[in-house]
Formats: sequence, structure tokens, C-alpha cells
Amino acid sequence: MQLLVNIVVLTATYALISCGYVLIYRVSRVLNLAHGALMMLGAYLLLSTALVFHGNPVLSLLMAAALSLVVGILVYVFLMHRMTGQSVLAAVLATIALSIMLRGGIALVWSAQSRQPIQHLGVSNPTIAILGAAHTSACSLLLVAVAGVVYALLFLFMRFSRWGLRMRAVGQAPLLAAQRGISIHGIYALAWALSAFTGAAAGVLLSLNSGLDSTMALVGLQAFPAALVGGLDSLGGALAGSLIVAVTEVLLIHYVDPLLSSAAPFLVLIVMLVIRPWGLFGTQEQLDRV
Amino acid sequence: MITMRGETMRYVTYAIVALLALVMMPATAFGQQAYEIGVSGALTGPAASTIAPAIQGLRLYVNRLNKEGGVHGHPIHLIIRDDGGQASNAAANAKQLLSDDHVALLINASLSSTYAPMMKMADRTRTPLLFAANAVCPSQAFPPAQRFVFCSSGISTKYDGRAAIAFIHDHASGPVRLGLVAMAIPVSRGGINHAAGAAKKMGMKIVQKEAIPPTTASYTSFATNIQDGKANWAYSWAPWVTEVKTFEALRQLGWNGSYAAVEQPVAENELKHLKDSKFYIVSSDSLFSEKLPIQKKMMRVATSANAKYPADEMTEGWIAGMVLKATLAKAGWPATRQKVLASMDTLKVAMHGLRGGPILWTKRNHFRTRQYYRVYHWNPSSGSIVRAQDWKAFVVK
Repeated sequence: MQLLVNIVVLTATYALISCGYVLIYRVSRVLNLAHGALMMLGAYLLLSTALVFHGNPVLSLLMAAALSLVVGILVYVFLMHRMTGQSVLAAVLATIALSIMLRGGIALVWSAQSRQPIQHLGVSNPTIAILGAAHTSACSLLLVAVAGVVYALLFLFMRFSRWGLRMRAVGQAPLLAAQRGISIHGIYALAWALSAFTGAAAGVLLSLNSGLDSTMALVGLQAFPAALVGGLDSLGGALAGSLIVAVTEVLLIHYVDPLLSSAAPFLVLIVMLVIRPWGLFGTQEQLDRV
Repeated sequence: MITMRGETMRYVTYAIVALLALVMMPATAFGQQAYEIGVSGALTGPAASTIAPAIQGLRLYVNRLNKEGGVHGHPIHLIIRDDGGQASNAAANAKQLLSDDHVALLINASLSSTYAPMMKMADRTRTPLLFAANAVCPSQAFPPAQRFVFCSSGISTKYDGRAAIAFIHDHASGPVRLGLVAMAIPVSRGGINHAAGAAKKMGMKIVQKEAIPPTTASYTSFATNIQDGKANWAYSWAPWVTEVKTFEALRQLGWNGSYAAVEQPVAENELKHLKDSKFYIVSSDSLFSEKLPIQKKMMRVATSANAKYPADEMTEGWIAGMVLKATLAKAGWPATRQKVLASMDTLKVAMHGLRGGPILWTKRNHFRTRQYYRVYHWNPSSGSIVRAQDWKAFVVK
């Protein structure tokens, strides 16, 4: 039972992080390698809002969420917008540069000190028993719930909303979409904002559960194989990829050797690349573009 | 109009030339000549939360010392370069510090991955290399020590484990079933292996040994293994992130055992945050709950300098500063590399309560002749950090 709970929590963690990779790739074909750093920035923004609105968790969280949306838009406006029309490789390199800049900037602004945002929010993170046979923390449960809600809302948004339809259109045929009057840059900015928001949500929940430090950016990269395994252009794929990676990781830790845990996502990825290089739910056409 | 523009251009050119001359002039040309000391440290990267506060402590100590007249009337010029914990960056830093900046002493405050290239450079240029400010003391500083390698840090793979296991042995109420927690990096696994050896000698049963990758997203799976092994004690010798996150994951699983971890800069704050009486910090440095006069002084200096990090995270850097001062005072002026090395060969530095005893180096022992440990934990009834064990000495052989 405890293993099952561990798998569910890890799946939710990877899923919440990896949907940010998918959102940007699906719309703009860019692999955002700054996603881990943006996720960490979201958590640090919560730290700041928690310090400003001390003891008011709802307001702090809302402000951090709003700021992360703004960060996503700013990244697009001031950096990725300039990459429009350039090669995909140039855009990917720009995200690597952004990641380095963000990590350095975070160390300068918030210092390299380990932090506990939960202290400033004035909330606790109690242990919760599940059916008497397993335990987890309240923040872990919240993370599972948030991942579920985010995915549900994203599915609904992409399938039924006008902006979701436009996002899909821009992802499939940007030129045609532009000719039909869709604001390409508006859609790209929206994708970056949503990606930064979901990443920040993951960063915030992880930091509430187990503190905040500069290693969080690496955790963001650990979730990247989950998106690749599922197929980079599929939200459903990201969910399935996260589940496969999480199951493999937890079982390897428990039954084989804990040392294999960091290699687990990449082992799964290699197997997937051999069997189905475009991922579980990706399309071959997307792979050609990569 | 053309003349005016030409004149303006001329003034601008003069200003630029003057500015360049100022920038290119060595800093020491403005005042007295200084002792040049080079530091390569992990100011960024995964180890930054441990190293950066200590480096700030060292910087504050040196700034204060310089204000008071320096050593033999000469200021100390610290040249600090960030290596991010990367071996290649550390090698480049060492090369630049030795060749361009002509430092008399190199200081490494970084991850163990940076040790080999810096030791090689120090050996080639016959420059003393001090491991300080929360760098783990390398085996080359222990007897029989390598010629150029010294260590002032309180962290030791060998003795930390011995101290922790001895504490667990003395305080456990029954048979010990021990879970061991390392980060999946060589130095941490080495530290845990030392502890495992000590534990076996004391008759403890090791039920689980976890090496957790630094990139892990969830510590719960590793904690589950320790809980499933029915450990009643756990010991972690790893970067703080791994030590504390594994402990928190264990508690989230409902584990009720005792946990010993080695002290690192954030430990004191974390004890206050966790408020768990069974979470023990095995420390070679005094925590600030001791309220020593030297700690009050550190707090004053940190406050007046508007330091980025709290004073209680700077102890190791402050100690590095004390060692630096003693070294240069003994070496005299001008301090060549040979003179600094000769000074460090037999050096005694009083710790004023920050440690259990002085740092004493001999030609054969560049770590110290005795290593002392205290153990702290949270006392719920007094609502404060208290000692679970006073200084206990371990003879370094």
C-alpha cells in the first residue's frame, strides 16, 4: 500500500512538472530546458509573497501564482519572442542560457540559503494515514489533487475553449493560423505563461513539503524524460509517461538498488526510444521536427 | 560645432584612458601591499547553501581584520572565485589564482569533485592548499599528511561517523537497528561506509543503507525502505538537503525512531523549525544556542555588514579566517609560499569555544590532533536547543 502511495505521489510530481514541457513544445516546438529553473523561481516567488503577506497563505499563494504567470509572459516577450523565425536549436540554446541566468539571479536575490516557505505561510504539513496502511504528508496529497485539477482543466481548456483551439491550431500550422487572424505571439505568450504557472505550482508544493534550495532546478530536469516517454506533444502522454517513470523508479528503489533511481527515467527513455522513438502518444511527424 | 565635437571627443578619450588605467592598476597600488589569498568556492550549484554562508563568514572576518590594521600592518586581499562545485572550474580558478594573481595560499571551499585538480596544481606550484569553510577534509590532510594539503573544516568522513555511532551507542535504550543515509556521491558514501564499520564494531545491526541521488524528486521511497527495515535509529552523513529531507520523509511515513545527522550551517535553524526531540545534530562546532562571546561578536559583525546570511551559518568561515590570521602572523611579511607553508607545518590556533579544542597541525597531521564533538537536539519542555552530549574528544591518528 505504501508503495502504491509513493507511486501516486511521484507520478503527480512528474506529471505536474512535465506538462510544462508539453505545453510549450506542443505550441512552439521548443524544448524548454529552463523549466526546472522556472519551477524553482515560482517557489522562491512564494517565499517572497509569504514574507510580505506573513500568515496569509491564500493571498501568498495567489500572488505567487499570478507572478509566475507574469514571469512566463515576460520570458516570452523579452527572450523567446526574439527567437521567432530562428532555428529550433537557437531557441533551445536560449532556454539553456535563461536557465543559467535564472539560477544565478535566484542565488543573488534570495541567496543560496536553504529555506522553509511553509514557516512563513503559518501552516503545517501533518502526516495523514491512508486506509490505516500507508502514510503521506498533507502537502503530498495536495500535490496529487493539484496535478489532477491542472490536468483536468488543461484538457478542458485545450479541447473546448476558443483559446485552446487556437493553441492547437498554432501548434499544427502556425502560418495558416496567422493567416486566419490568430495572434501567434499572443498564443505563444499564453503557452509560456501556463507552462511557468504549472511549473511554479509543482515547485511551490515541493518546497512546502520538503523545503527550498538550489537543487530544485535539477528535479525539474528529472521530469523531462517523463514528457519524452509520453510523447512531447501530448498532455495525456505526459501523464502516462510520468506514471511509467514513477512506477519504474519506485520499484527499482524498493526491490533492486536505490542507486538506480536517478537513472530510472533515462532507462525508461532509452527503452522507449528503441521501441517507439516518438513516445507513447506522440506522432512521428513531431519527431522529424525534433 | 565641429571643433566642439572634436574637443568633446578628446575629453571622452582622456576619460576612458584614465578609467582604464585605474581599472588595470592593481588594487594594492592604492595602499599598502597585501597578502594575496585565493579562494575557489561553490558559491553557486548544489553545495552553495552550505558553502556560500561560510565564505561570507571568511570575508567578514578578513574585512574586520583589515579594518583593524591587517596582519603585520598589511591587509589581506581575498580573491574569491566561484567554481559551482565543478572540477573544471576549480582547475581554471586555481590556475588563474596561482599564475596571474600569484597568491601565497589557496583555499578550497567546494565539493570533493574539485579536490584532485586543485591538489595537483598546489603540488606542482608548491603552494599550500587549505580546505576550509565547510569543505570536507580530504584524506590527504590526515596522518600521514601530504606536504601541501591542510584542513580547518570540522567535517571529516572518518571521525564524524565514529562520533555519531558512539553517541547512538551511548544513548540507545536497547539493541540498535540502524538505517544509514548517504547522498549518491563518493564522499558521502565513503562517510557512511566509515560509520557502518564503526557500527558493526559496536554490535549494531545495519538494516538499510540508502544512497540517494541529489536530483531525486521524492525522498519517500528511500524512507520507506528504512521504515520497512524496522530501523529504530538512522544516521545520515550527506549534504544537508539529503539529511533533513530524508528525516522529514521518515516522519511523514509515521516513523518514530531517532535520527542523527552531522551539523551543517542551516542545522540550527532547522532544529528550531522541526522541533523534534529525536533529531540529533552531531557537531564539531558550537551552535549559537551556546551564546559564546565570539558568537555575539560574529552576530554584531554580520549585522553591521548587512550580511546576506545569518551569523549562525558562518562559523566555519570565521574559523577559516582565524586560521588564516594565525598562519600569516607566523609567516611574517612578505609572505612567500614557502614561508606560509613553513608556518602551517606546525600551527596552533585557539578556537575560543567555537570548537572543543584548538586546531593543532604538525608536520605529519594537517587535520588536527584531536577532534571534538557535541550533540544537540530540541528540548520541547524548554522550547530551545540543548546539548544531548558535551564535547567528546577523538584522538586523530
